[in-house]
Amino acid sequence: MTPLQNKVAELFENGTISLMIGYKNAINKLAVPCFIDHATQVEQLIYTPECKGNLSVYLHKAEIKQAKKIGILANIATLRSLVQLTSENQLSDIEKTVITINAQNEVLVFDNMEKVEEYVQANFPEYTEEDKKLLEQLNSMTRAERWQYWSEQFAACVKCYACRAVCPMCYCSSCTVECNQPQWIKVSSETTGNLEWHTMRAMHLAGRCINCGECGRICPVGIPVHLLTAQMNLDIEKEFGSKTGFSCNSGYALNTFKPEDKEQFIK
Amino acid sequence: MSEQFEPKIVAFVCNWCTYAGADLAGTSRTKYATNVSIIRFPCTGRIDFMLLMKAFENGADGIIVSGCHPNDCHYTSGNFHARRRWIVFRSLLDFMGFDTDRITFSWVSAAEGAKWAGLVDETTQRIREKGAFTDFKKLDCSTFEKISHDAITE
Repeated sequence: MTPLQNKVAELFENGTISLMIGYKNAINKLAVPCFIDHATQVEQLIYTPECKGNLSVYLHKAEIKQAKKIGILANIATLRSLVQLTSENQLSDIEKTVITINAQNEVLVFDNMEKVEEYVQANFPEYTEEDKKLLEQLNSMTRAERWQYWSEQFAACVKCYACRAVCPMCYCSSCTVECNQPQWIKVSSETTGNLEWHTMRAMHLAGRCINCGECGRICPVGIPVHLLTAQMNLDIEKEFGSKTGFSCNSGYALNTFKPEDKEQFIK
Repeated sequence: MSEQFEPKIVAFVCNWCTYAGADLAGTSRTKYATNVSIIRFPCTGRIDFMLLMKAFENGADGIIVSGCHPNDCHYTSGNFHARRRWIVFRSLLDFMGFDTDRITFSWVSAAEGAKWAGLVDETTQRIREKGAFTDFKKLDCSTFEKISHDAITE
């Protein structure tokens, strides 16, 4: 039994949690989400570098919410999304225990969001080297080249909406893409509609995305969709000075304003 | 004989300031470009970015978005919220390589009929020089080309 499994078994036995969301092994050394409701099943639980999925996406599901006391195994991106979701009042109806494993391989258990917030602020993640390089590359292109790049990328999109399904911040019960009176986003997968979908997704996530990069990782045709929101976050931080997933009381950059906000383009 | 290209401009304006400003331009008999179609909104805060996307998709060559000056909003803060949204939307469009010069953002008050006329003239002239907006149409064509190419290789 690993220290993580011991800790989770202990939490089940003293009644702190009644459902644990974690990772288990799958074929090809992949880690997939698993849901445990009894101490006898804890041996499935693993925590490896392959455990990348953002498990906080499950906290919006009605079947998960039925379990009154939820334990969630969280990497740093997941912790950040928990902080952002708390600031958006999305987790107030759930009694949750957050379990994470720090760089020293110690199992940490947080029973309230203030402690999570403190941990996130002390270990705030940077953009990955790969993302930094891609963003720099895109920003050094001319406008026409960027248009060419994104139109080629969006031409491949099959509108499976996996980027939406995997995103912990996409929790609306009805999405604009399902709205057909009026039809904002075309149902078929053609490039203009794909571009509109990705514009809309990026705008609705601007200032809320916590840069877990799940949308880009999950895309079956390999579009780096996470770069759109990553760039938006950089811009928002530069313009308005707000960081996403940093504080439980930060709110949402586009939901507020300052009279002294600066721009150069409004005539 | 080749005719001069006349762009289609769609203006999204707020009811309380710019619409009244455009009205003033009309009642003052100020002459300005006839390329503009005005759509009246309750407030700039109501102007969703998807409306701008749809205007371009439906054949607009240029867009004007205009409302009350900061601190003049009829609803106190609608234009402040809109300003943040435009800052973000504009930088997103720029990051995607969209030509942001095709969208003019402005503050026009109910007393600025002349500013409105000048704004429409200036935007029309700028878009006329740029020519028709074809980026979206080309995207659709590229989809069809891809499909037919795939069909042939199959």
